[in-house]
Amino acid sequence: MHIMNRSIIVLLSLSLMGMTGCSKFLEEKNPSSITIDNYYKNATQAQSAVDGAYEQLRVFQNTDGYGENPWISMEMLVGHAKTLGQSTYNSSMIKHTAGTSDPVFMSVWKGFYNGISNCNVAIQHIPDVSMDDTQKSNLMGQLYFLRAFYYYQLVRLYGDVPLVLEAVNANSPLLYPSRTSAAEVYDQIVKDLQLAETSSLPTTDVTGRVSVMAVKSLLSSVYLTMAGYPLQKGTAYYQLAADKAAEVINSGNYQLFTSYAYLHDRAHKNGSEFILQVQYSGSIIFNNITRLIIPEKIGISKFGDEYGSLMPYNQFVASYEPGDKRAEEKQFFFTNYNGRDFGEYALYKYWLEEAANPTTGDANSDENWTLFRLPEIMLIYAEASNEVNGPTDAAYTQINAIRSRANLPALSGLTKDAFRQEIWKERYHELAFEDKAYFDIQRTHMMYDLPNNVFVDATSKPNIQGITFTTKYYIWPLPQNELDANKNLTQNDEWK
Amino acid sequence: MMKRNNHFMRCTGLLFLLTMLHFHTLMAQQRKVTGQVSGKEGPLTNVSVQVKGTTTGAYTDDKGQFTITVPNSSAVLVVRYVGMETKEVPVGDQTTLNIILTSSASDLNEVVVVGYGTTKRTDLTGSVGSVNADELMERPSLTLQQALAGKVAGVNVNTNSGRPGGRTSVRIRGFGSIKATNDPLYVVDGIVYPSDISTINPNDIESMDILKDASATAIYGTRGANGVIMITTKKGSKKGGVVSYSGYVSAGKMARKQDVLNAKEFLATEDLAYANAAKFDPTGFANGTYKDPKVKRAQYIGTLFDQNLNPLYDVDWQDAVTRTAISQGHNLSFTGGDEKSTYGLYLGYNDEQGVIKNSYAKRYTARATMDRQMTDWLKVGGTIGYVVNNEKRQDATTGGNNVTRQMIEMIPIVPFKYPDGTYGKRGDYEGMESGDNPLSQLYEDNRQYHNNVFNGNAYANIRLYKDLTFTSTFGANVRDEYDPYFNSTLSNLANDYGKNYAEITSYRSTFYQWENHFSYDKTIGKDHRISATVGQEIQKLNYLKYVVAVQSLSDDYYGWNNLGSASTVNTPTSEAYSWAMASFFARANYAFKDRYLVTVTGRYDGSSRFGADNKFAFFPSAALGWRVSEEPFLKDNPTVNNLKLRASYGLTGNSEIGQYKSLANMTSNTLIFNGTRAAGTVISTMANPDLKWEKTRQVDVGFDLSLFNSRLNFAADYYKKNTRDLLLDAPVPATSGYTTLTRNIGSLMNSGFEFSVNSVNIDRKDFSWNTTLNFSTLKNRITALGSNNEDIYMTPSFLDFTNILRVGKSVSSFYGYVREGTWGTAEETQAAKYGAKPGDLKFKDMNNDGQINSQDRTIIGKGIPDWYGTISNSFRYKQFDFLLELQYSYGNDVFKLAEHSSEDRTGIANSFSTVLNAWTPEHQNTPIAQIRPTAAGYTSKLDNHKVEDGSFLRGKNISLGYNLAPATCKKMGIGNARVYVAAQNFFLITKYTGYDPETTTWDDTFAQGMQFHDYPKARTVMLGLNVTF
Repeated sequence: MHIMNRSIIVLLSLSLMGMTGCSKFLEEKNPSSITIDNYYKNATQAQSAVDGAYEQLRVFQNTDGYGENPWISMEMLVGHAKTLGQSTYNSSMIKHTAGTSDPVFMSVWKGFYNGISNCNVAIQHIPDVSMDDTQKSNLMGQLYFLRAFYYYQLVRLYGDVPLVLEAVNANSPLLYPSRTSAAEVYDQIVKDLQLAETSSLPTTDVTGRVSVMAVKSLLSSVYLTMAGYPLQKGTAYYQLAADKAAEVINSGNYQLFTSYAYLHDRAHKNGSEFILQVQYSGSIIFNNITRLIIPEKIGISKFGDEYGSLMPYNQFVASYEPGDKRAEEKQFFFTNYNGRDFGEYALYKYWLEEAANPTTGDANSDENWTLFRLPEIMLIYAEASNEVNGPTDAAYTQINAIRSRANLPALSGLTKDAFRQEIWKERYHELAFEDKAYFDIQRTHMMYDLPNNVFVDATSKPNIQGITFTTKYYIWPLPQNELDANKNLTQNDEWK
Repeated sequence: MMKRNNHFMRCTGLLFLLTMLHFHTLMAQQRKVTGQVSGKEGPLTNVSVQVKGTTTGAYTDDKGQFTITVPNSSAVLVVRYVGMETKEVPVGDQTTLNIILTSSASDLNEVVVVGYGTTKRTDLTGSVGSVNADELMERPSLTLQQALAGKVAGVNVNTNSGRPGGRTSVRIRGFGSIKATNDPLYVVDGIVYPSDISTINPNDIESMDILKDASATAIYGTRGANGVIMITTKKGSKKGGVVSYSGYVSAGKMARKQDVLNAKEFLATEDLAYANAAKFDPTGFANGTYKDPKVKRAQYIGTLFDQNLNPLYDVDWQDAVTRTAISQGHNLSFTGGDEKSTYGLYLGYNDEQGVIKNSYAKRYTARATMDRQMTDWLKVGGTIGYVVNNEKRQDATTGGNNVTRQMIEMIPIVPFKYPDGTYGKRGDYEGMESGDNPLSQLYEDNRQYHNNVFNGNAYANIRLYKDLTFTSTFGANVRDEYDPYFNSTLSNLANDYGKNYAEITSYRSTFYQWENHFSYDKTIGKDHRISATVGQEIQKLNYLKYVVAVQSLSDDYYGWNNLGSASTVNTPTSEAYSWAMASFFARANYAFKDRYLVTVTGRYDGSSRFGADNKFAFFPSAALGWRVSEEPFLKDNPTVNNLKLRASYGLTGNSEIGQYKSLANMTSNTLIFNGTRAAGTVISTMANPDLKWEKTRQVDVGFDLSLFNSRLNFAADYYKKNTRDLLLDAPVPATSGYTTLTRNIGSLMNSGFEFSVNSVNIDRKDFSWNTTLNFSTLKNRITALGSNNEDIYMTPSFLDFTNILRVGKSVSSFYGYVREGTWGTAEETQAAKYGAKPGDLKFKDMNNDGQINSQDRTIIGKGIPDWYGTISNSFRYKQFDFLLELQYSYGNDVFKLAEHSSEDRTGIANSFSTVLNAWTPEHQNTPIAQIRPTAAGYTSKLDNHKVEDGSFLRGKNISLGYNLAPATCKKMGIGNARVYVAAQNFFLITKYTGYDPETTTWDDTFAQGMQFHDYPKARTVMLGLNVTF
């Protein structure tokens, strides 16, 4: 073989070697996902980003453990229900012996901050997308509502929380934020909601999206909370709350259901009483709500797992007035099914017959989780206007509409204090186990003394479980993992 | 004549002329020489006799005799025979030669495969362990990892499951990484093997060389940090056609059983729980929450109980789901060739059945290989192979009620099938947690893995000049895997009863590698030898995965074969990625007087995985060796025939971190609006353009010593590896929307001592006895983590994170509470402070704050051993051979998480017999809590009671073989034959109470030693036959 030919081989191979040093060969391009820099280019992408931000409304249904979801944990603190023996974390919420590393504190914190982050990135990028202005305003309205909603949960549960309003990356100064005062967070919430209120959101919506009515509902709740603890902004904010609630009620867009059954069936999802629900469907997105409320392993349903996580105490059901329809069998509660006696009360309010029936059920636990329904807005109006003016006809109308649906006689001629007590009772009875009770205790510092059927200072006496509230439990601890990751954060005083 | 013309063409000047003259002179003195070659036992057949420097050769016949034509008196005969020392015999004026060969107990002349070339062991400066085909086949195994176990010091192979195929993990010199892979790099015939290495048939392997220190691995740069396993497959033979068959049949049975409650004990425990219900839940008891079991059982008279409430059934579920598993393996090879071309065809079939019914691994392999010396400067060759690997597993879905869990927790009072043919279910008895009985689940839950791999490579080796060769190798690997899964309406493992579930997961990956290098070998004068290698390489892999899952198919009959019959379709998903690497590498070796050795390597790697600013990095190493035995003062020493000291230092990297970590990726999620599915897009990973390699610096010092003419051989190494820039999912504040950021912040250290001894204790004509021992220690310590050295909790998470990374401690540190026992009746007031009662579990309040919470956790165990190794003794007596292999490990713990559901709680499922030792007022000195109904509240934490000492001594292999005498073979017309009987895993000595301390049920990085209901290991008896024709 000639020297020339061999040299040619050498040269060829050397040049081949050179070619492959090309850095294009080493470029990284992810075929399965787009990066933030390459996204937000058109209306479809903007819509998809906004849709994605709804995901963390499902935080309440996170599975933190066996029989443990945040919505259950929030109810356990109130002390009106017992739980399954297997869940040590549920038990520690009942007994007020929780630890800062308990899973629920982190799952809620990180879930809502993830939702906020998606809102921040979208709010930053969508204004630059070239698309129809009305649709753009609609999308921005949804984002402002969602961000405000997520911060509202965080500020109530944890107190002073970091206020992050822009996208964060590895070099951002906001990667290690400090706590912002609750007052500032509330101000931002109100600001976001006011932006949403004036955007081109539809007035109402039955698909599961944010509507102007939903914005107003959230605003009324926010104002009501700001009026009470910890901000105690008083009368002016009660007035704001009452006004907002009135806008929703007087719009005529919502009516109370004629039957309590409609609160938990598929046919009436997003129905006339509901203002905003978290959406679930079939086996695409489902939850554990029905499984959690069935007595533990009792075998009455189609489900393989029946947790018995939230079993109302007899004393709670006994606190309903005699004749209250809601306390009758299979309205809000039930004690037997298909001939099987439980020996205790279970929450019929969350029973989904279409899924759970042992013969005809399809085992798809997909009931929606209600964030706002009309009775709550009606009661906000009654309570807020009472604080400002004392009982008025308009206030009586609201509470009596709810009472009459429950076959209870109308209220009249009460003092401001007595009326306040009745409204609070009605909140506990109508909105039972809908994650409203704990927040009521937080903003009023009062608890429902079930045996005496009256509201007293929450720290003054033990509840029916024998647990006395302490100021420590008016608030949640910041999750331990978060404190470990961010040295700029400090723990809530009484949890240190 | 052709040859001489070719010689003419190779112009190398003066040397060429001399050669020409030489040839002419030689031709004139050609003559015939005869002779006999013998070994210790007598004449040897098929010995290769070759005239040195030519292609003239011959083989000895069955009498050991040969005839060969030598060109002249200065001819030298090279006599070669496997297992014997190659001998060079100058012919001189003799016409008859009597040549005696001695067995090569030493491996001094061995050639070791290092990266991009080979080295003689005497010249090696790095730390390389070698295993040849015979050693690999001492213990016939399904996978090559199992075959490799125990053979090389510093290589810790754990077979972590009893399922066929074994779920093995291979660790060379400890754990070098937390987030990137800890697996070594596998290189097969020079090409990186990207697929699962258990798809290679161990019978196809000629030798394995394990590169351990930086000097050996640095030439693999960014993939060498965890060590490199060089696999050389069998090729054709130069000696004409050989057909060989090796096969075995084996029977395996579950080696150990765990004690669980029988029917009587289970019911008694339930009665006891009811009796204690009032104590632990007075309110609930008063409310009527608890039902008297006797009343409950009355409902089942006729179905589960008789008139007197005695149980009708008492099923031992461990027995019910296990069997004597009969497995077999067959390998057939055809090899042939001559001095210029060799070829081989290798076929293999393995059917390994698991000791749990309806579980298996079947593998079919076919491989064809060819090498040809086309001309005297060009050699080409290639191998293509195809593997079909089908598995059916019964131990997936860890944490759910799978077969391995249900064989412990299924209650004994419910049968497999009722008289009417329906399956018994645990939920049939009121109050039980729902779950299939495991025997029914074996038939109603079908999970399979079908893996097809094509692997091929081709090379050309060109001799450019006398000392300079160029080699180009191209390899490709195509993997097609599909994993179908079906769970019927009669099992609730995947879905509720009445709903079935079908899923098919598919993977396709294509990989290619093209590598080119120059090699230069030159001897200068008498004292200097240099060799150098310079090359480049590119690699690329493309991967696609897609998953389709459906529910509620109209009939169980369809399984996964008619997904269209389903009424619910889950959202299909797919995912794709690719990565590429481009590299340059070089190595130089210098030997002075064959005594002083220096090796220097370097590699420059670029990877697509790293941030735009850090795509390339450089990895060097240097090593020194001193062959003390070649020094004048030791050269002719009768005792010491080899002593080499070596030291090396170098840098390797780890780039196996997954793809696209440096980018701000977004991902899709699912929402429901208007009752229908909508796809949202959300943030997923935080970008890190600074992402770069993990770097490991390793220093190694060692020596090799052979005494008494290589009858006693030692090799020892001490190494220290420091890994910096560890890739970690460092926790970031969740306020950012993310919880982790992949960052290079962390460092850890591995160090240890490796020691192997090989001794020929007795070596006589009829009897010999060899001992092999290896011993390795491992010390691992984390030296830095994150920006504040904060602890990091690692998965698996079961109840809580099970292990912790803490500066100053080793990886795989189990983390949890300390159980001090149970509260006694005398401690009632103290127990009440913690919300407990006498009979409840008592935990140590580490910080004395009056609460038991996450601040009271501490490190309670360690999954990796302190030291481990193997001792083997082999004996030969006439035609018999006997081998005894023991494996030992010390310092490793097992986290028996199964106790959470099988001991900490009772009554809703079956439990371990340990609950019979529970606290009662009369028996208070026990770590087991008082029996009570689960609804009344029980405590279960990750605590040190669940941590057990996993140190063990195992009888790994004992085998007795019979080799047919050469005469008998000749009569039968075969080359040689060996028949053997063997037993594997024939005894286990350990304090651990579970099935086997070498275990894990998770694939997470530090899950070694953590189990939640593992698949039991088998004791196997095997009968095998090896024949060559």
